[in-house]
Amino acid sequence: MRLLGPDTTKRLLDRIVPVPGIRRMLLNGQNIPLVVPYGPARGAKNETNLRKSIEIAGNIVDLHVQVGTVTLEIEDRSVIDQIRAICDDFFVDFPCYVQEGKFMKTQPSLVDYAKYGPGADPSIIGLVDPKRKEQPSIIHPHGDRVCGGCEL
Amino acid sequence: MTARRPQYGPGTSVVAVNRRNQMDPGHKLTVVRSITDEDIVLVLGHRAPGASFKTMHPPLSEQQEPDCPMRRLVKPTEGAKHGDRVRYVQFADSMFNAPCQPYQRTYAEMYRFRAIDPGTLSGRQIVECRERDLEQYCRLLIETEMFDPALVSLRGATVHGHSLRLSEDGMQFDALQRCVLGKDGIVRYVKDQIGLPLNRPVDVGKPLGQAWLKGHATIFHSLVGTALRDDREYVEYLQRIHTLRTRYGFVPKEA
Repeated sequence: MRLLGPDTTKRLLDRIVPVPGIRRMLLNGQNIPLVVPYGPARGAKNETNLRKSIEIAGNIVDLHVQVGTVTLEIEDRSVIDQIRAICDDFFVDFPCYVQEGKFMKTQPSLVDYAKYGPGADPSIIGLVDPKRKEQPSIIHPHGDRVCGGCEL
Repeated sequence: MTARRPQYGPGTSVVAVNRRNQMDPGHKLTVVRSITDEDIVLVLGHRAPGASFKTMHPPLSEQQEPDCPMRRLVKPTEGAKHGDRVRYVQFADSMFNAPCQPYQRTYAEMYRFRAIDPGTLSGRQIVECRERDLEQYCRLLIETEMFDPALVSLRGATVHGHSLRLSEDGMQFDALQRCVLGKDGIVRYVKDQIGLPLNRPVDVGKPLGQAWLKGHATIFHSLVGTALRDDREYVEYLQRIHTLRTRYGFVPKEA
């Protein structure tokens, strides 16, 4: 298993996003900082091609991480087979795991309550660190909207 | 009666042999690549190429050294002689069969180099010494089989990568992307070890490949390399150390 670059991530997501039945999507991986965070060069711009904006289904998404895990919230189990087929077809140079389980927070935690209050949007919970100022990206796939759009 | 030969470490596996080879100063390490003095200076980032070494005290020859038997016994290194300041180099080694690992690196350096102050952490190892000596030591650390362009990298800060999955191109993860694998298969440093961009890329050669790495690994890894349990002598040694440490922690009374 490997960490994916932005271009590979885009190619993978271009295949995954149009699959019907995906409610939410979370990309996890190692953070690529905008500036050098530590050391004598602290504050200098971090010149890298690992952090860039990619276009997914016609939507521009700022990728902050080098992607290692894609977590999907799906509507029913039939989606898993489609995702597994896509992954088997896509990952030919190195292997990948498709695991089934509950990997995303569904109930608001105390920190979520402190941040969003009692009327929190359930589609936001678990997608983004409550302390983060940026909101998740909303993706509207081309054509028919899939479950109201995927959030990335 | 023959003179005592140091064993350096236990084990019969290829990992154990590689560890001993790196630690043994009598063993000549294979030179895999060559790097110029200027390239070393660029990657270290402590001084501009061609600039003189900054000093923190006058040369020893200009000082009134006290008449001390220890000073007569221990000859100063070139850096100490000239009064060079103390600088550092830090390496991050991937656990996916990088040819050297932080603890191993410290052992090897302590056996091979003089006047060094290593600091060993789980995923990185820093060594400090006089600047002139540092550049010499770096040459050995980069040019020989202790270095692989993909899995070992010089990182003064923001070192995270040792225990992470590799990138899709086989490079160790680096948030600052100090070195880049080119389309020609050659790894080039585009930033110095602290993350400042270089004026020109520094070529450190091609990654050596999984087969070579497996044969030159100094870390046990049951999935991608040699499993520790396959080396019975090593396991026996570790169990003995563990037993003795546990038992003597209770200060037992000998019968």
